[in-house]
Amino acid sequence: MITRRSPNWQKALVYAFMGLYLMFVLLPIIWIIQGSLKTTAQALQLPPDLIFIPSFDAYRRILVGGQLDRAFLNSIRIAVVNVFLALFLGIPAAYALARWRSFASEQASFWILSVRMAPAFGIIVPMYMLMRWAGLIDTFWGVTLVHLTINLPLAIWLLRGYFVELPIALEESAQLDGANLIQILWHIILPMSRPMIVAVAALVFMLSWNEFLFAFVLTSESAVTVPVVITAIAGTMRFDWPLMSALASMSLIPAFLLVAYIQRHIVRGLTMGAVK
Amino acid sequence: MKRYFPLLSPALLILIVIVAFPTVYVFYVSTQQWLLSVPIREFVGLGNYIDLLTGPDFRSAFRVTIIYVVASTLLTGTAGFVLAFLMSGNLRGRNVMRTIVVLPLIVPPVVAGFAWKFLLSREVGLIGGWFLPSLGLEASMLADPNLAMVSILIADLWSKTPLMFLIFLAGLQAIPEDLYEMATMDGTRLGSLLRFIVIPLLRPTIALAVVLRLIDAINTFDLIYVMTSGGPGTATQTLPLLGWKIGFNYFDFGQASALAVIMLILVVVPSTIIIGRFTRLAD
Repeated sequence: MITRRSPNWQKALVYAFMGLYLMFVLLPIIWIIQGSLKTTAQALQLPPDLIFIPSFDAYRRILVGGQLDRAFLNSIRIAVVNVFLALFLGIPAAYALARWRSFASEQASFWILSVRMAPAFGIIVPMYMLMRWAGLIDTFWGVTLVHLTINLPLAIWLLRGYFVELPIALEESAQLDGANLIQILWHIILPMSRPMIVAVAALVFMLSWNEFLFAFVLTSESAVTVPVVITAIAGTMRFDWPLMSALASMSLIPAFLLVAYIQRHIVRGLTMGAVK
Repeated sequence: MKRYFPLLSPALLILIVIVAFPTVYVFYVSTQQWLLSVPIREFVGLGNYIDLLTGPDFRSAFRVTIIYVVASTLLTGTAGFVLAFLMSGNLRGRNVMRTIVVLPLIVPPVVAGFAWKFLLSREVGLIGGWFLPSLGLEASMLADPNLAMVSILIADLWSKTPLMFLIFLAGLQAIPEDLYEMATMDGTRLGSLLRFIVIPLLRPTIALAVVLRLIDAINTFDLIYVMTSGGPGTATQTLPLLGWKIGFNYFDFGQASALAVIMLILVVVPSTIIIGRFTRLAD
């Protein structure tokens, strides 16, 4: 632990270590961004040119490509619909589980938590069969529904934890005035929970955007998402480094835009509320 | 109370269809001979389990998984703890450092894997193609069976340390500052500070971090798939990659389901016990 009174050599050691670690963190991000701005010939050159004329050719190929810009549209649509469904279904359910304290509701809450902890691989085979049976393989709704298996439990669990801590007095007086549960939810709970709802929305968007395994197994062409396309191109024999780097760089944009909303709540989200 | 039921039932209904049904169904499929290419299905009891457990693939994948999970937990846990410990001290530029350290958390694992594959590539990578050879190390990181696992662990360290860091930071911030002050005034050495104050107080945090990392590591598919697809050979083929191969390359749903059940048990039993204790702590 460094304090103001620590000797200088200790401080220097800590700063040196932190400097190295920060370089380790930034290197891959800088590397793919510089790679995305090069031509294939430039990207193959080692040691790399540090000063070069940036080329936006890779980005142009993505945006007017057909297959690739479709992956971005799919990813955005799937993530946005997931945010809506997770909130629309999750808010009432979380509220019910927060206020209805009974053995049954405790069991339901616990089951929802354990779903989040279960391996995705455990349900992927039956999920694939279910989707085949329903004719939803390689469709927008197939991927959207499957992503809900991750996002809906997450939304319910986080919102439930938040609702439990809201003061109950307002709701009780509203009930005495004859308000029903939907009215209470809409007029009292929602306005009080806006920051948490925004955080959950951002988290759901990010998890859906980043999800790979389900989308990879359930799509082949028309419903592919960005991570699926990145791996598909990364797996081909002829490496098109600038194109892949541009794809990877572009896939970082939403997360970097949302980071302000996510950062404060991400620990809570990823540990399912065990760390506040 | 019945009036809460209408609020709960739509979500519950969807979760039953997309989560509970597959979870139960996987047990049924695991007892069937069920290949996509063969229309005849029959009950084989534990046959799929026996085939799987006696075959060479499972044993190798199990070994690789243990190596990966243990190494990953140790590496990311240690790095996360050290970073959190250093940064809870009096450092200038702490907020900027914190933002950068957390950055990989929002990078999709597929992108993290790709970026490291690019960096470590023998042909075009800054590290694998230029830095290491200039030190006289000519081996190809991703093509050598042992080094491929090392490559994955490097990317893993990069991608998974931030969550460990944030969990430990939250735990360290909950320790009253007076304790440190007293300890440093008494001239307590760093070793005893860690051993007698920090680590005992942090025990629940450490357990939580370890459990989360274990669960996540056993399930890791994306990072490994994009970097090596389990290769070279089967050197980095963990259980999820083997399961994917059985299920979606050979389309042997019966055996893939048997593997899924084994993984469910490997993950759910210990984590349910420990997480059950933690949620009570957190409430």
